[in-house]
Amino acid sequence: MTIAVPVVSLVLGFLSAAPLFLAVGVNPILAYRQVLGVFLNVDGLTESFTRGIPLLLASVGLCLAFKMNFWNIGAEGQLFMGAFAATGMVFLLPDSSAFVLLGSMIIAGFIFGGLFGMIPGYLKARLETNEVLTTLMLNFVAILWVDYLVYGPWRDPEGFGFPLTPMFPPNARLPWIPGTRIHAGLIVGLVCAGLVYVFLARTKWGYELKVTGESRLAAKYAGIDYLKLTLLVMFISGGLAGLAGMGLVSGIVLRLRHGISPGYGFSAIIIGWLARLNPLAVVPVSILFGGLLVAGDALQIGLGLAFATSQVFQALILLFVVGAEVLTRYKVALTWE
Amino acid sequence: MKGIVKRFPGVVANDHVDFELQAGEVHGLLGENGAGKTTLMNVLYGILRPEEGEIYIRDEKVDIGSPREAINLGIGMVHQNFKLVEPHTVLENILLGLKEPAFILNLKDAGDKVLEISKRYELPIDPGARIWQLSMGERQRVEILKALYRGANILVLDEPTSVLTPPETKELFRFIAQMAREGRSVVFITHKLDEVMAASDRVTVLRAGRNVDTLHREQLDKTKLASMMVGREVLFTLRKSPVVPGERVLELNQVTVMGDKGFPAVKNLTLDIRKGEILGVAGIAGNGQRELTEAITGMRPILSGEVRLYGKEIHSESISRRIEEGIAYIPEDRVGVAAPQGLTVAQDLVLRRYREKPFSSGVFLNQHKIDNNADTLIKEFNIMVSGKDAPARTLSGGNLQKLILARELSGKPALIVAVYPTRGLDVGATEYVRSLLLKQREAGAALLMVSEDLDEILSLSDRIAVMYGGEIVGTFPASEANVEEIGLMMGGSLRKT
Repeated sequence: MTIAVPVVSLVLGFLSAAPLFLAVGVNPILAYRQVLGVFLNVDGLTESFTRGIPLLLASVGLCLAFKMNFWNIGAEGQLFMGAFAATGMVFLLPDSSAFVLLGSMIIAGFIFGGLFGMIPGYLKARLETNEVLTTLMLNFVAILWVDYLVYGPWRDPEGFGFPLTPMFPPNARLPWIPGTRIHAGLIVGLVCAGLVYVFLARTKWGYELKVTGESRLAAKYAGIDYLKLTLLVMFISGGLAGLAGMGLVSGIVLRLRHGISPGYGFSAIIIGWLARLNPLAVVPVSILFGGLLVAGDALQIGLGLAFATSQVFQALILLFVVGAEVLTRYKVALTWE
Repeated sequence: MKGIVKRFPGVVANDHVDFELQAGEVHGLLGENGAGKTTLMNVLYGILRPEEGEIYIRDEKVDIGSPREAINLGIGMVHQNFKLVEPHTVLENILLGLKEPAFILNLKDAGDKVLEISKRYELPIDPGARIWQLSMGERQRVEILKALYRGANILVLDEPTSVLTPPETKELFRFIAQMAREGRSVVFITHKLDEVMAASDRVTVLRAGRNVDTLHREQLDKTKLASMMVGREVLFTLRKSPVVPGERVLELNQVTVMGDKGFPAVKNLTLDIRKGEILGVAGIAGNGQRELTEAITGMRPILSGEVRLYGKEIHSESISRRIEEGIAYIPEDRVGVAAPQGLTVAQDLVLRRYREKPFSSGVFLNQHKIDNNADTLIKEFNIMVSGKDAPARTLSGGNLQKLILARELSGKPALIVAVYPTRGLDVGATEYVRSLLLKQREAGAALLMVSEDLDEILSLSDRIAVMYGGEIVGTFPASEANVEEIGLMMGGSLRKT
């Protein structure tokens, strides 16, 4: 059942996209071949991993917040703050060794993402503000702050007016696997997934998180300090999203620019739920999701589909997978009336 | 209803149960928790489908597939946990789900009809009031009106008195009698012997999903009913050994506590409890008992005054600090507060103790010790559970309370604050819980027990304090207690301080 449902839902998702492909004048069979091809050639696979890295980091962080019923919709913004802070370190320490510079970029990325996550945490614990609204709104603050920098003070003077910073020096680039775009962020992501798993299953905080997720009153009864726990969880959750941002600027784009993330922080929410908030399950789901993003690109490049069309295709697939997920939780019985 | 069989995974909730209801009759359905009373009535109301058995209404065989079909057959049910939409008004709740206001709500006509019913049955209600503003008794009235509005001839009341104060219970019985006089029928599910005897024409007793017997009013006898229900003799008097109260454990001095509505719920209250003493706090729910216990355990800050444990001020200490100092707390809300339902039994058994050694060291939990603890306590307190890793939601009410007591009492508490410790429990579990509390008293704990059950207060307490309007209106030794006086004090018409 647990295997059959996702497989069948994927097939149905593909079939439902057929009219879409026909409408834009593309043979659906060709389109399917293009999509499946992503997972059958080396470039497609490695690229799936590459796209999966920021998804993995952000999503693992979200697992923590969601487990305690803190609806952090702000991973995107926390990611941008991490990217901003990491870039800031390049401006501050351009001439230090790669070890020092990368280390400080990682730490700064984590801390800024984390601090940015603590703001809605504090607001909720102290003033009972709705975290869905505050985290969502703070996304725009972070995205526009980065826009301000890349359109203004940090713009590359030799960049022909494009909204981006100068290219990073080589000592600010994360190690990568030659011939691919997979960078050391993958290792960081895997380690973080493992750490978060241990955090949830084996530590006092993990237990407190579960109790709080069950009921805030029960947590209070158990003597759990909600403010402290929320700040800790949101620092880690935001910090991991910040690391995702750091990985993007330091491993892929090699500069800060407008729209550094196409919405990884939002996709991470879906991934977290598909993985049932299990940080280990987030790993394969992120990479598959990365593959779906690559498939979207392949449709555009290979078949000349419009960006919007490929987005509709991705959305259809997700709709079916997420929708079918509900079925795995219930017993379905067909009755004859 | 003939030969009803309903199985749930692992249990047979109804095993060939027969049940007969006559017109104009109040029929008590008696049994312990888990005896299958509610299951049987849920089958009648179309919520559950039986695997076997037949239902006849007025000699006609019926197949009830949903509550809507049950309503059409003139069956109404008031569940133990009310099914009301809290932000909506009384009238909106009554109309909810009806087909009749097809598109445009004619609130005035519907409101008039509700008022007419409410007048006829003397069930006063304001149709425009919002549910969250109402007391539990008033909410029950809304549920009853909802059923009457739908033309119920058969009214099923599931544990209707568990949320009512004594005067409200009296009102309910008057209403039930009126229904019967009009030729309608009432099924009254309960596990309280006194009530079933006071209100019913006939009583059917269920035990472990089977019929025990159906008795007529004149055959009813408390001891007999109790042994039918439990399957063995039940002691109605507890053996209480004499304990000489020792040093003062808890002391409250001029304590004022704010309630949820922004008014002081506890006013200038002073009390003390000694080692080996049970202080029973009597009073009608909503007179500050909850706020008082929350102030002692740290769930609620105090506005002024002082709370001392062994002479040391604790009123500004955190909850976790108070747990360490030996305050055990058995709160009113078991499901939402005391034993979170999604955690496993083992996890719930360390809820307030996971910080202590050996359950954790440094930042890590010691799973092995947590499991051992669960094994020991499940055995020691005889908690019926499929395993220590089963979610707490699979436990019945009595076993859940055993779990909570097991955890709270295993740490050798100095002070035990118990709120409605036996509410909703069946005779067997009640007996057990009370004996546990008495054992703690003998072991030298100080106990503060809030209860609305006067029998419980009288039989367990060493001293009794009556609360009314946030104040203690009288304190006296249990040996000098006078039930009538306590009743008057609870109603606010007598003060003795």
